[in-house]
Amino acid sequence: MLEVDGGIVFWILSFVILVSGFMVVSLKNVFHCALALVLCLFTVAGLYILLDAEFLAAAQVLIYVGSVAILLIFEVMLTSKLADKRITQSNDQALVGFFICTLFAVAAYLLIKFNTIWYPLAKSALPSDNILTIGKYLMTEFMLPFEVVSILLVAALIGAIALARTEKS
Amino acid sequence: MIDFSSVADNFNVIYPELALLIGAFAVLLLGTVKRFAGLCTSVAGLTALIALWLAVDQFGTQQSGFFGMVTCDAFGSAFKIIFIAIAIVTMLIAHRFMIVKQIARPEFYALVLISTFGMIVMANTTDMIVMFLGLEIMSVPLYVLAGFARRSLQSNEAGIKYFVMGAFASAFLLMGIAFVFGASATTDLRRIVADFSYIIYHSGLYMYVGIALILVGFGFKIGMVPFHAWVPDVYQGAPTPVTAFFSAGPKAAGFAVLLRLFMFGFEGVAELSSIFWVLAVLTMTAGNVLALLQDNIKRMLAYSSIAHAGYILIAFAVGGEDALSAAIFYSIAYAIFNLGAFAVVVLLETRSGCRSDFSELAGLSKASPYLCAVLALFVFALTGFPPTIGFFGKFYLFSTAVKAGFIWLAVIGVLNSFVSVYYYLRVLKVSYFDRVEQPALSVSYTPAITLVLLITAAGTLGFGLFPQKLLEFAQSAVFAFL
Repeated sequence: MLEVDGGIVFWILSFVILVSGFMVVSLKNVFHCALALVLCLFTVAGLYILLDAEFLAAAQVLIYVGSVAILLIFEVMLTSKLADKRITQSNDQALVGFFICTLFAVAAYLLIKFNTIWYPLAKSALPSDNILTIGKYLMTEFMLPFEVVSILLVAALIGAIALARTEKS
Repeated sequence: MIDFSSVADNFNVIYPELALLIGAFAVLLLGTVKRFAGLCTSVAGLTALIALWLAVDQFGTQQSGFFGMVTCDAFGSAFKIIFIAIAIVTMLIAHRFMIVKQIARPEFYALVLISTFGMIVMANTTDMIVMFLGLEIMSVPLYVLAGFARRSLQSNEAGIKYFVMGAFASAFLLMGIAFVFGASATTDLRRIVADFSYIIYHSGLYMYVGIALILVGFGFKIGMVPFHAWVPDVYQGAPTPVTAFFSAGPKAAGFAVLLRLFMFGFEGVAELSSIFWVLAVLTMTAGNVLALLQDNIKRMLAYSSIAHAGYILIAFAVGGEDALSAAIFYSIAYAIFNLGAFAVVVLLETRSGCRSDFSELAGLSKASPYLCAVLALFVFALTGFPPTIGFFGKFYLFSTAVKAGFIWLAVIGVLNSFVSVYYYLRVLKVSYFDRVEQPALSVSYTPAITLVLLITAAGTLGFGLFPQKLLEFAQSAVFAFL
């Protein structure tokens, strides 16, 4: 098996995430923004793999890349006024926003740096079959939340139909 | 192997919830057949009544099930009764209104029942994941209900506004839960309480951030200042029976969860008291002052609901068992007289061309004197005059604050009540004393809405004169608060 230094992979992934994230909020074409978002979310899944969280990575790809981003692209394509239209995503407040966000980022960095005790992640600390563990939890302790989610989906479905169906007079 | 022998015991705990769900799906199925569509209201009402009976039957027992995910304690089962009662009253108010406004569809009742199910799930657990799911199950139907009058632009606006802002608030809440989970490695409040000092010592900062974000998420639902901006637009735009439901059900549910979180789960954070002090003062003052400027009754009641949320927030600042039972008592009292007030507004709005402006009240005392008298009763209760339940609720709330040494908080509360006298009594001034060019349109009662008016009026006056029974109910709900 090929041994890869996790550090390099991490830096590459982070770079792609940052660049694509920036593209999402700066490109002029909404469709391109959506594509950049797909790339961004996909690379985040890569980070999860790096952390040995395979289930989270799979869920990330399925939910964010597979449905949320695709739904977004469909929306853009189906909305005739949006597709191919050039829009500016920033306004006069851009500079102020930039400063405030930078301030928050620096504050968050400092807080995390000085308030967290870092433990090196031992390879053996995570059970190799953590998906199995998640499955067991879903069928025992978290069975009720798991089932209750289905009620939520039904409610959303009923609501969507109630709002969208055509009325017969 | 998992032991399945106790499955039945688990389902015992959630009988009322199951009844509501079965009712919701029965209504949907019936609604597909045109011949049975008329039965939907009665089926929904009947199943809600059965659920109410089951919930009353459960009250006073201490049960837990589904691996500790459902905790049906005295507190939770008391709120079960409250939520289901509110749902029944809402459906009674709504029936005629929906037909008159041509938006009567079976989904309405199904959504009300599912939303009530969500509230119950939310209030009957100590696990934050289940709380979040309950909140979403409550909210998703509410987004739809707010926009239920599809032809009305205002209703559409209310739906979209509530949906966008609500989704935003949910994001805050989830982030908060994630932070708390990160700090404590559990989502169960009981385990957080057990290890509280340890968690605070090791990762206090993340815990504080998480708690603050959770407060934002639920503060939005109860219309706490500064997260109240959606309230007036949504209350005004939504169909009036839905507004009545909004002001009673989700509000009580939000408070139930907040009480469990902040008077049990995060009780150990000493700074919370002063934060809630500020929030309570801000909320009641902003609500009352802004209500002075309104010309629409629904909008006025929206701001008044913000103000009442502020009164209940006093209990959070005070803390302790007395304050808790005072908060429960006030939530129930507010639900009773506010539903009554909204029932009157619904009745007035079923007249043609009425938009619930203050000026439409003129001449009401001549046209329908009984209705006007009932309205006066609810207005007195909202203001907090004796001998209504509104007076006793406020008295109980403020006196617990004074007893615990929060004298200034009580003083500000009383001053706020004085401010509110102005805009509440304006309702009576317009309806009793304003001159009218043409006589006001008379209202047509239906048995359902008459029943609601009778029940709420009897509750407002009866519990105001003899609060003992309701007080015992509120105090017993505290007793096993775990």
